[in-house]
Amino acid sequence: MLLSHNSLGWKLKYSLYVTSGAIAAFLVLPIIFIVFLSFGSSQWLIFPPPAWTLKWYIQFFNNPEWIDAAITSLEVACLTSIIATLIAMPASFALVRGRFKGRDYLYSFFTLPMMIPVVIIAVALYSVFLTLGLTGTMFAFVVSHIIVALPFAIISIINSLRLFDKSIEDAAVICGASRLQAIFKVTFPLIKPGIVSGALFAFLASWDEVVISVMMASPDLQTLPVKMWSTLRQDLTPVIAVASTALIILSLFIMIIASFVRKQSNRH
Amino acid sequence: MFMAFSIKKWRVGMLLLPILVFLCSFFIIPLVGLLLHSITDPKFGMQNFAQLLATTTYAKVLYNTFLVSILVTSISLLLGFPLAWCITLVPKGWGRILLNIILLSMWTSLLARTYSWLVLLQSSGVINKILMALGIIDQPIEMVHNMTGVIIGMSYIMIPFIVLPLQACMSAIDPMVLQAASICGASAKTIFFRVFLPLCKPGLFSGGLMVFVMSLGYYITPALLGGVNDMMLPEFIIEQVQNFLNWGMASASAVVLVIITMAMFYVYLKVQTDSPVSSNTGA
Amino acid sequence: MGLQTNTMTQSPLVCLRELNKEYGNFTAVDHINLDIRKGEFLTFLGSSGSGKSTTLSMIAGFETPTSGEILLNDTSLINIPSHKRGIGMVFQHYSLFPHMSVRDNIGFPLDIRKVEKGERDKKVDEILNLVQLGAFADRRPSMLSGGQKQRVAIARALVYEPEILLMDEPLGALDKKLREDLQDELRLLHKRLGITIVYVTHDQDEAMRLSERIAIFKEGGIVGLGTGKDLYRKPPNAFVASFLGNSNFLKVNVTGPTSAQLDKHHIILDDLHEMPINQQALLMIRPENLQVLTHQQAENEVLLDGFNQISGTVNESVFLGESLTCSITTPSGHQLISKNIATEQPDLEPGSTVFIRWNSKHSSLYSKWEQSDINKNASQ
Repeated sequence: MLLSHNSLGWKLKYSLYVTSGAIAAFLVLPIIFIVFLSFGSSQWLIFPPPAWTLKWYIQFFNNPEWIDAAITSLEVACLTSIIATLIAMPASFALVRGRFKGRDYLYSFFTLPMMIPVVIIAVALYSVFLTLGLTGTMFAFVVSHIIVALPFAIISIINSLRLFDKSIEDAAVICGASRLQAIFKVTFPLIKPGIVSGALFAFLASWDEVVISVMMASPDLQTLPVKMWSTLRQDLTPVIAVASTALIILSLFIMIIASFVRKQSNRH
Repeated sequence: MFMAFSIKKWRVGMLLLPILVFLCSFFIIPLVGLLLHSITDPKFGMQNFAQLLATTTYAKVLYNTFLVSILVTSISLLLGFPLAWCITLVPKGWGRILLNIILLSMWTSLLARTYSWLVLLQSSGVINKILMALGIIDQPIEMVHNMTGVIIGMSYIMIPFIVLPLQACMSAIDPMVLQAASICGASAKTIFFRVFLPLCKPGLFSGGLMVFVMSLGYYITPALLGGVNDMMLPEFIIEQVQNFLNWGMASASAVVLVIITMAMFYVYLKVQTDSPVSSNTGA
Repeated sequence: MGLQTNTMTQSPLVCLRELNKEYGNFTAVDHINLDIRKGEFLTFLGSSGSGKSTTLSMIAGFETPTSGEILLNDTSLINIPSHKRGIGMVFQHYSLFPHMSVRDNIGFPLDIRKVEKGERDKKVDEILNLVQLGAFADRRPSMLSGGQKQRVAIARALVYEPEILLMDEPLGALDKKLREDLQDELRLLHKRLGITIVYVTHDQDEAMRLSERIAIFKEGGIVGLGTGKDLYRKPPNAFVASFLGNSNFLKVNVTGPTSAQLDKHHIILDDLHEMPINQQALLMIRPENLQVLTHQQAENEVLLDGFNQISGTVNESVFLGESLTCSITTPSGHQLISKNIATEQPDLEPGSTVFIRWNSKHSSLYSKWEQSDINKNASQ
């Protein structure tokens, strides 16, 4: 009745559709709005803009601060993603395959950084790195981002490992492959989609991270969101819309890769 | 059961070593260090908590934090419910489009989305223009740098976190159960309130709790969209650290935030019984 | 339990000695002893949790025994890892490698053994012909039917010529018709190749149809071992009797070495037993060994030597096509089920008095039993 498309009363059905359409529009329009805004000529962000222009893009690309920030962001996100995945992989194997008490607690522990407010993590790490004189270093950025990215990698890899039928690996072992050979020849290729999407999520988590980065940044080393943040606190210049568009495009790109990877895995 | 080959103990230890070392040195130690500041900075004792209780700003901050979190949770539940229902109901293709919109919104840069609302809600912004064109208001109303802005911006960000668990919960409901209720003579209204809504409760609960907890600890959006008088706990903490270098107060507030958050998650884990790691293959 | 059957002409291929597996306080496999002969088709039959799969797992090397010994050709396997045991195995859900073609799936064990390419391809082709999958060699497993997948799994397990092939409920996921076809195929394959097969199932029909010997598992132990025929006709204990097929259980009082008392009837027993006089014992008769006679038939037909006769009242008789089952209550309240070829049986009206006869050779007597053995049967 209430869950069947055909037998729902038309009045209820259409009011539901209209409401949902409006909410969906509410979710997606601000994102599209930003992209349009980045091409608008108005310094004061009047919409619809009086004319279309690329001048904010030119400003963005001609300002080394923005470019350096974007490059730093990419570097940090790549390093974070790779290291987080490398740490998460053996841990996920241990959690799914190991037979020991307290696995559920360990899982909660590994995903704890996702539950603790980022502000707390940011302040805590800031305090330590400040004492060690490490703020404003690549090391501080990557380490702090890994903390936030780890849960995403762990959850994704654990899920794919749980769904993986372990007897396929056992079949390889009984066929004569050592456990390690079996993991590399059979298990890894088959859970690759989970590992890749874990890495992608870790990348995105780092790419989008603001609070910690703001605390870790120095005038010499900052990520794109930090640069946006500090600019935003002064004025709303449309260059921020350009940076936002860059962030949106990259997120979209990664989402498309992720869904492509997932489709590939469904083919088996 | 069968094929339950278990990795030997020491090997499990080796596999867990990197993550344990990493999390302990860069997460647990700093975290504990920060929380300890609350009773050691500047000297050992409860003076920071005493000071917190004595500050009227702090009471206001706590009040704001809870008020915003409750409002944001309610609004996103209210808006998330029809959307989740719609996704479950419509033909698959449409449902996938709606889900993709939600995922896109969730994974789009938080800063970019907040910026967008900052521009949309400003006094010369699109929303004010539309409202004026519709004749609802005569002159622009202030929607940023106050609580309205915070609540709009945060609800916008939180809706996906309601829709995803709620939709998963709804799609697990057997439509036949609702049909059975209908055959038993229940009206659509009765079915909705007596059968459908109770069946959605786990999804509503987990989504709502998650959003509430996330809202308590949100910094970016309130800092940009909110005003000076609407400060929430996370902003308060950062302010203590960055502007006043008052680590004692900052840690004491951090302790409060962590305790509230953990208490909420404890409730969440108690309600959610499924083990997240146990393997479900071969059973 | 010393249930070794008589003829041990060949030396065993695999010996399990006091094999034990415990998980914490739970004993999954309880000190079992078993010899697996070279070339035989042996089935581990039991319900889930009976320890049959754990035993197989220990032979394969996926589980480490808590104590005990596994010998293959008189060499201990305990410290040899799975991949070096040279055992073949077919898994419950096929467990083919989804990212490899059928050919590569079958070639995998040879690749691991670094078999030279020409020979590898030759062997794979041979085995593909054996399981009649030549035409499907380049497909991915996801494009095969359940039966085809099963054959690929068998081919993959046989291609490196293991001495022993383990099969863990390999046909469980298939529908009934296909399962029966594959059972016949498997039996023929076993005859043709002469390989030793250890097969695990919970399906007694499958066990009967396939195996030369059956080991019946209960609570981690082997409670019956022998050919299907022997186990069915002369079950070693009440559990096996009720587990394999249907059975009637009657409580009797032992009155002599070959006699007992059932209610007021004197009953002849076939086997000599060593139970003391007056002990209560359990008499088991298969439903198809009970003859049901009407009052008139009983008067006309002489009670043959070695036969017993008791009276009863018909509750209900059900026509099942080829057979007719009849439930009967004896005057003392015992419930009996008979099952006879329908054509030979007169119609039995509910409430009518009948006589039941059986040959004492077809009954078994047990001194010990558990209530659950009898109840389980009643609920079937």
